[in-house]
Amino acid sequence: MNSAHTTPIPEADIQAFVDGQLAPGRTALVEAAMLGDSELAARIAALRAQNVALREALDPALADPIPAHLIAAAVPPDSRAARFGRRLAPALAVAATLIVGVGVGWFGRDALIERAGTPTTFARQAAFAHALYAADINRPVEIWAAEEKRLVTWLTKRLGFQVHAPDLNAVGYALVGGRLVAGNEKPTALFMYENADKERLSLQVRKQGSGSGEAAFRYAVENGVGVFYWIDDACGYAISGNVDRAQLLKIAHIVYGQLAAADAGAPK
Amino acid sequence: MTRPAATDSPGLPHPDLVAAIPRLRRYARVLTGESSRADDLVQDTLARGWEKRRLWRAGSDLRAWLFTIMHNVYINQLALARRDAANVSIDADPGNPAWQLPVRANQLERVELLELLQHMGRLSADQREVLLLAAVEELRYEEIASILQIPIGTVMSRLSRARSNLRQLIAEPASALRVVK
Repeated sequence: MNSAHTTPIPEADIQAFVDGQLAPGRTALVEAAMLGDSELAARIAALRAQNVALREALDPALADPIPAHLIAAAVPPDSRAARFGRRLAPALAVAATLIVGVGVGWFGRDALIERAGTPTTFARQAAFAHALYAADINRPVEIWAAEEKRLVTWLTKRLGFQVHAPDLNAVGYALVGGRLVAGNEKPTALFMYENADKERLSLQVRKQGSGSGEAAFRYAVENGVGVFYWIDDACGYAISGNVDRAQLLKIAHIVYGQLAAADAGAPK
Repeated sequence: MTRPAATDSPGLPHPDLVAAIPRLRRYARVLTGESSRADDLVQDTLARGWEKRRLWRAGSDLRAWLFTIMHNVYINQLALARRDAANVSIDADPGNPAWQLPVRANQLERVELLELLQHMGRLSADQREVLLLAAVEELRYEEIASILQIPIGTVMSRLSRARSNLRQLIAEPASALRVVK
């Protein structure tokens, strides 16, 4: 640094203050010193800005698609060797990209469903559609939220059952609008949301094929997009976005609750 | 509902491990400054993690545990490469002149961020590492000390040096390869 420190604040306290790791009592001391020492205040502001810039610069790396050979390295090694044999590893890795997070007890079931194909395909399609349209600055939706009523009526007609656009303002996401997305057999409705930081989420809804019962929330990461999806009353729902798993789960619960309330006939 | 599976499911990738991979890759890229070497390091780390899985305390932070393994695997690889296993640390590892950005340039919206990463590549590996863990991963200093197996005071002084070096590099435009101490 350019000049000798005349301030009594120890260097370690400055670092900890910048990182929000300083004990409350000492935090007050730093804050008091900043008031009387503009150089210190400026330095702390610059260090905090540096933290923010580093996160902004390095966080996009987390969205990179995971190479198949690394997913294969997350498979328990004994089963890799014993059950499948090494020659199946590449195929396994491809299949593996389709499954990610599951809770206790869902593991075996998920494996079965995985082989059957349907729900994981939905998560993957949801992630792709989200990535495609959320990245579109000018035309993420076909009908904007200003015409929400028209949007919902149109999607309801096209999907053949009543759809609802949940209100996510409580968690800071406003409805941007919606569009129709091609699905496997049946079309999918997509509702796009955006927060103040221009981060987008999408909720996708479609009729599931036959043989799909209820399913608890499940989580997958597809090409860096997190997806929570579930099946309820023969409809599949997926909420996708580049937000962390805990936040996405919270939003998924809100969506689930609102849709259940709407289906129960409560006024929206 | 989203508790990590207590047992490994044969034939399927462990979800908690898969969830950790993006952060491991980022750490490895910051450490090695080279994306293909970084993925090798992640693969070696996952393999080592499976070997040592009995040592993982259920309920503890899997990310921090894997970071510790990655740090050690990296140090061991450096030691092997230098055939000097007795006293190698990455403290002396100079900034990599062929530093590859840990993020694809087209993913960065602002040119300052691109420049910031370029400057970061001129810090020594131990300084890059501590910056990533503290500023980006936002780990507690105690956790960082445990990952790097150094005293907490060393974490903080290294962090302080890394930050002021980075500021200095940014403040000196176009100064070519200057050695930063």
